[in-house]
Amino acid sequence: MKPTTVGVIGIGRIGRMHTENLVHAVPDAHVKAVASPRLDKAWAENLGIPVRATDVDVVLDDPEIEAVVITAPSGKHVELIRRAAAARKHIFCEKPVAFEPQAIQQAQAAVDVAGVKLQVGFNRRFDPSLLQMWLAVRGGKVGEIHQLRVTNRDPKAPPVDFVKRSGGLFFDFAIHDFDTIRFLSGSEIVELFAVGAVLVDPEIGKAGDVDTAVITLRLANGALGVIDCSRQTNYGYDQRFEVFGSKGSTFVDNTTATTMVSSSKRGVVADKPHETFVERYREAFVAELAAFVASVREGLPVRVGAADALAAVRAAGAARTSHLEHRPVLLSEAVQSAGGGQRQ
Amino acid sequence: MRPITAGILGAGRIGKIHANNVMAMPGVRLKAIADPFADFKEWPGPAIATSKNPEDVLKDPEIEAVLVCSPTPSHADFTEAAARAGKHVFCEKPIAVDAERVRATLETVKRSGVKLQEGFNRRFDPTFARVRRAVADGEVGDVHLVRITARDPAAPPIEYVKSSGGMFADMTIHDFDMVRFLSGSEVEEVHAYGAVLVDPAIGVAGDIDTAVISMRLSNGALAIIENSRQAVFGYDQRIEVFGSKGGIEAFNETPARTVLRSRAGVRHENPLYFFLERYQRSFVIELEAFFASIRGDREPPAGGNDGLMALLVVLAAKQSLVENRPVRVEKLASAAPKKTR
Repeated sequence: MKPTTVGVIGIGRIGRMHTENLVHAVPDAHVKAVASPRLDKAWAENLGIPVRATDVDVVLDDPEIEAVVITAPSGKHVELIRRAAAARKHIFCEKPVAFEPQAIQQAQAAVDVAGVKLQVGFNRRFDPSLLQMWLAVRGGKVGEIHQLRVTNRDPKAPPVDFVKRSGGLFFDFAIHDFDTIRFLSGSEIVELFAVGAVLVDPEIGKAGDVDTAVITLRLANGALGVIDCSRQTNYGYDQRFEVFGSKGSTFVDNTTATTMVSSSKRGVVADKPHETFVERYREAFVAELAAFVASVREGLPVRVGAADALAAVRAAGAARTSHLEHRPVLLSEAVQSAGGGQRQ
Repeated sequence: MRPITAGILGAGRIGKIHANNVMAMPGVRLKAIADPFADFKEWPGPAIATSKNPEDVLKDPEIEAVLVCSPTPSHADFTEAAARAGKHVFCEKPIAVDAERVRATLETVKRSGVKLQEGFNRRFDPTFARVRRAVADGEVGDVHLVRITARDPAAPPIEYVKSSGGMFADMTIHDFDMVRFLSGSEVEEVHAYGAVLVDPAIGVAGDIDTAVISMRLSNGALAIIENSRQAVFGYDQRIEVFGSKGGIEAFNETPARTVLRSRAGVRHENPLYFFLERYQRSFVIELEAFFASIRGDREPPAGGNDGLMALLVVLAAKQSLVENRPVRVEKLASAAPKKTR
């Protein structure tokens, strides 16, 4: 069976990474085309990609291309999904599909009508450690789940320009944590309470966002959850997870580039956590694309789809409402009222 | 070192621990222990006077310091009686579960001019004290987050649950004190989610056994506490303080420091079983600090006001749980009428 022909739409930092992963690490995929208004043609040529376009239609109109990877800016995701679905192409789309639940539902409807697959880029679900945790937890190793904890802290605060168009900490950053809680627990978030603060950079506050947050939540299975977020650790990308239950607990720690420990009069010193998500989730980024391509080739359902994006965005909307209105918010309430994206 | 003569009220579990620690402590003479329910047959031995009557300790002019280790409902009465008798007081937490009663007691102590230390032993745990020092020395920079995981190894008997004042008053009060101690800041607002997941009987008794609590502190930082009445692998006591320069974390302590590698995996030791094991040293150090503050005529390191502030957070957390909304701690404090004279 020949490799699945893929086109990549949008070549920013993530787009480059996905393209390189497809070319180097997913043998069942053949990247035929990349399209981006600001395309680095030399980069694409070096990767041996035959079609290098600035116009997305070049990808969408190519009958040979079976699947597309959408990593264009978030605001364009839904339109691109609709067009790709209309062109009968399977779709891998970066998170969040959209900030508005209704837009995600529209995207879902478009792929359902077209009969194509839509996988969403919740990369953590493909991380070997978190998969192992999922197996342990869902296999009953911790018994009934009582508490889940996610620590999610970036190494360095993003530029304020990014903050302004990111949708805010809850939509851009904590969205992974909402998905991780759902993934690990196999349950839905019923209610949450979010408290945010501007402690890293006052400019983030002026842009209407927060840079530090604590979110507590209740799940449908009765368990409680805690998420803590910070935009800046200064010691690397801090990603820790814990699931605690009636029979015990499982914990996933940070990973490091090396395992060397040096001891001296000044202390016992080991590596800091990986500096960015690219290094921390290197295997996950490859595995999610390999899984997507496998789903396409074997006609299997995707492991993380629009329904998951919808649930995570609803949680993000509820968290923002909770923070702004200073009260616990039911997710059922957020279904009716959540708008997404920018807030003033 | 000037010797100090001490007496103890209450010879239950914690009273015995304190008594044994004081007996082994240089510069302190334990003269008498009173407990109406103890038989004192096997313990503490002939060197220590024993009595069923607390007055025998409270009225003894030789006794300079009294350790109140009786059941919680008698803490305030004994603390006031000892203070009126001119004795310095070490009282187990909480002084009372009613803020007005605590305020009245603190007032009596103040008028009596004696010292009052409250049994927030975790402040004196060498590991947690090191975390506090790191924060105070600026090693983590400005504090952004305080995170505490506190889980007991086994749920208490239901009779205990009924008389405990609830999980927040009985258990989480230590964590609230740690949040204040580690951050050097006050809890301004608290929100609590609670659940009954360990033992339905705890729910029937009107309490919870699992909680996640978020807080906003007056210095702007945020804090989280995770509680459970039952971690089957042992007493789970971890803290983390994260700030502008980095974070510091304290892990569980274990009976030994081994790792067993085999086909079955890499096996680390379980945590020390419960608070008597885990906080053994802190119980000694807190009393050393108490007697040192008497000798040096200094304010004790964990005073009555710390107990009151922790209790106010407990009350706010309880209210939050009932009303499912964030509750401001200081409003609760000012809403309570000042005692009129």
